[in-house]
Amino acid sequence: MNTLSLITFIPLLGAIIVLFLPKDRVRAIQTTAIAAASVSFILSVALFFFFDRATPGMQFVEHADWIPSMGISYFLGVDGLSYPLLVLTTLMTLVGLIGSLGVKNRVKEYFFWFLLLDVGMLGVFEALDLVLFYVFWELCLVPMYFLIGIWGGPKKEYAAIKFFLYTLAGSVFMLLAILAVYFNSTPHTFDILALMKAHSAWSLRFQILVFLGFYLAFAIKVPAFPFHTWLPLAHVEAPTAVSVILAAVLLKMGVYGILRISYGMLPLAFHWFLPYLVVIAVVNIVYGSLCAMAQTDMKKMVAYSSVNHMGYCLLGIAGLSATGFSGAVFQMIAHGIITGALFLLVGVIYDRAHTRDIAAFGGLAAKVPVYGAFMFLLCFASLGLPGLAGFVGEFLCFLGAFARWKVYTAVAVLGVLATAAFFLRMLQKVFLGPLNAKWAELPDMTARELISIAPLAALSVIIGVWPGWVLNLMNATILHMTAFVKP
Amino acid sequence: MSGLHLLFPEVALSVMALGVMLADLFIAARHGRVLYHLGWIASIVALLLVGVTISDPARYQGVGTLWSVDPMSQFFKMLVLLTTVLCLLLGLEYEDLPPAHAGAFNALLLLSTAGLMFLVSAVDLLEAFVALELVSLSSFILVGFERSRSKSNEGAIKYFLFGAFSSAIMAFGISLFYGVAGTTRLIGLSRSLASNPVFLLAVLLILLGFAFKASIAPMHFWVPDAYEGAPTPVTAYLSIAPKIAAMAVLLRVFTILLPASALRLTGLLALLAALTMTIGNFTAFFQDNVKRLLAYSSIAQAGYIMIGIVAGNTLGLEGVMLYSFIYVAMNIGAFAVAQLVASQAPEGAGDRYGLSSFDGLAQRSFGLALAMAFFLLSLSGIPPLAGFIGKFYIFSAAVQSGHYWLAACAVVNSVVSVYYYMKIAYHMFFMPAPDQVPLRLGPYLCGGLAVAIAGVVIFGVYPEPLVASVQASAQYLP
Repeated sequence: MNTLSLITFIPLLGAIIVLFLPKDRVRAIQTTAIAAASVSFILSVALFFFFDRATPGMQFVEHADWIPSMGISYFLGVDGLSYPLLVLTTLMTLVGLIGSLGVKNRVKEYFFWFLLLDVGMLGVFEALDLVLFYVFWELCLVPMYFLIGIWGGPKKEYAAIKFFLYTLAGSVFMLLAILAVYFNSTPHTFDILALMKAHSAWSLRFQILVFLGFYLAFAIKVPAFPFHTWLPLAHVEAPTAVSVILAAVLLKMGVYGILRISYGMLPLAFHWFLPYLVVIAVVNIVYGSLCAMAQTDMKKMVAYSSVNHMGYCLLGIAGLSATGFSGAVFQMIAHGIITGALFLLVGVIYDRAHTRDIAAFGGLAAKVPVYGAFMFLLCFASLGLPGLAGFVGEFLCFLGAFARWKVYTAVAVLGVLATAAFFLRMLQKVFLGPLNAKWAELPDMTARELISIAPLAALSVIIGVWPGWVLNLMNATILHMTAFVKP
Repeated sequence: MSGLHLLFPEVALSVMALGVMLADLFIAARHGRVLYHLGWIASIVALLLVGVTISDPARYQGVGTLWSVDPMSQFFKMLVLLTTVLCLLLGLEYEDLPPAHAGAFNALLLLSTAGLMFLVSAVDLLEAFVALELVSLSSFILVGFERSRSKSNEGAIKYFLFGAFSSAIMAFGISLFYGVAGTTRLIGLSRSLASNPVFLLAVLLILLGFAFKASIAPMHFWVPDAYEGAPTPVTAYLSIAPKIAAMAVLLRVFTILLPASALRLTGLLALLAALTMTIGNFTAFFQDNVKRLLAYSSIAQAGYIMIGIVAGNTLGLEGVMLYSFIYVAMNIGAFAVAQLVASQAPEGAGDRYGLSSFDGLAQRSFGLALAMAFFLLSLSGIPPLAGFIGKFYIFSAAVQSGHYWLAACAVVNSVVSVYYYMKIAYHMFFMPAPDQVPLRLGPYLCGGLAVAIAGVVIFGVYPEPLVASVQASAQYLP
């Protein structure tokens, strides 16, 4: 059974079908896209029942020659680290597509690029060959460029090209790092699993150089300070569903890369980098939350909250313990779900009011109670209220990091305060207080919006109350990964 | 004269070229298109003849007096012929060429191709020089073929002056070479020559001559004007065929016959490569004319290809061949779309090859815009398109041979290049369309485009057959 290939390439099939549909058949295009994403989602969920939680290694492995004369193979597989992210991707793509049904302009092209983007994202989490990984990694770039550039906000062209150049600049150095690793392994190989065993022959200096090449690509994607400047712009200008994907999945590719490749393949350099990584993590947390506090645009605020939340992931990784790693992965899932939903919610109000200015609203809770309830729930989840998904991730990250970095963790906790502050301030200004008369006619959420947001809200409660079933998926792998770490 | 039979395909093509010129006398001007058909059929025949030489290497391959016919040379000959076929298909749909001179146009293009075929086989400087002159003289005329357009004349004159100048430099280099080495043959030179400064000077002057054809800095100044002025099919031809043929010669000379490392020229070649791609990319930034933009882009591409020569290892050799192949597909494709878009640009809108002609192409013909986007992304080396495989191979050659800074310079250049390639995508996808009328696509251009797009996509997704055949063709004599 080539389930992983099916999951990955059914969206591609969908994209090709969309390409050949006439552009005025809007309904057919939407149906094809959602059908493809649904099949991919259902298959990825089906794997849940076959996934062996006790095995740390790769499962559902597919191996075939791709370019044998260059030593490149088509090698897919998932383990406890990547499987949760795979499901997150298929889920958020489906949600994003449902959220995109309101797109009226150039529908065919939109769904074509969206499905193509899905293929790239899924492949990144499955690929076990460095070149294949790189191909999928880059495959995400072009569709994103067009999605932001065509359907985005007022500064979309600038945001699109900035995103493209920024991420490409990072990934080309990853390409050089990949080549360096290849030529310094015996026998020459691009196989990630084999390279994880090859590092003992590499000197620290070589590892550091390669690490920096990979890190540049991953840090830009995360985005880790100081490479985060593309993110607020891209997030704000992108159409709603694309912001969702950007926050929920694309940022995770960076953290995943650090865990899978930087840590797995270059342990010496990773240790060397730890002191810097923890500083970057703390800066991300504190600086991200302070930036978010300064925003008047709701979308920009959520965007900066992503910078802040990815800081937690980095902090968990810097903890270099099973707890910290689990926290980082859990935080990725939680952030994907919560922030994805928050972007959808911001999109909902923008569609109605055509503004996202926090100060322009007031007292909306009485006018749009359903919308208000979702917004409260997800903001609380995002700021880390116990019982909701965000708390579990943050707590594990702090717990994992505290043993190694006491002072830094203490500083980072201050960032949590700021996070709470900006979310609460936003909720207060938008939903509480006297109703701004301008919005007296504001309608509440429609069925389509509910369908895309309600499952995410439910998930953020479920995995917050009962995180065990998610953590169980990754446990074996993460214990195996951290088995040799010196405390 | 030994081994003349080795050059049978070249001889056949030259004869057919003269045949086309004669046929012009008997065919009325209004049936001029027939000559184009004769032209591309002649190229296909030559292509098949080259195929025969590959199928029976024992009989048709070997070293002659002045030439060496080996899998590597035959590979480049096939590429040049393929380019000729595709360019003539473009020419069939190019409306600005005077129909009265179709015979001359086709004959010159075929003769130029024959010259390139001689060139890639050359192992003697004199033969290389004569072949280069055949190419140059034909292409000077081809650039100036649209006599009524002043740009065309300007391009031709500049091209001619630069060409004559560089030929003179090269001839001078060859004379020095002969003075020191006592021969113009590149095979069997004494090792002690490498330390002779006059010999080095001679080699450098000869290098400049080839750099002119391959548009390597600092011999690239003619490129933008000549490309802009030339009829688009000729531009496409010039940007590919002479360039890869010159690269093939440099490859043969500097990695096989006179290894750059033995002459201690590797550093200089690396510098030229870095300079070429940087100048090409950074100047392309400021272009508003798509032909000029692609001209600078082709300079940058020459820089990338040169990395393979700098690397000087087997990967580099194969990389140059692989990249050349892929370069044919993506560059022809880009020029084909540019020609089509310009030919249907609204009247009186100023420069027909201006970037604004591309406005809203995605809304008029999405498939065409997507194809162009694929060609541009392939040129900038984004996977999973073929250009990425080419760059990957070239860069790995650089990394393997330890040229890390050159590889780093090349990847930074690739990022820079995305900016201007995407400028075209910006016009195609982001700008509003002046109308919603789809573009009319003629059958021949459509065929050429289909070949190009298939090459870019198929060899990007599944490059194995291409890589394997390149590796098999990377054998050389002696």
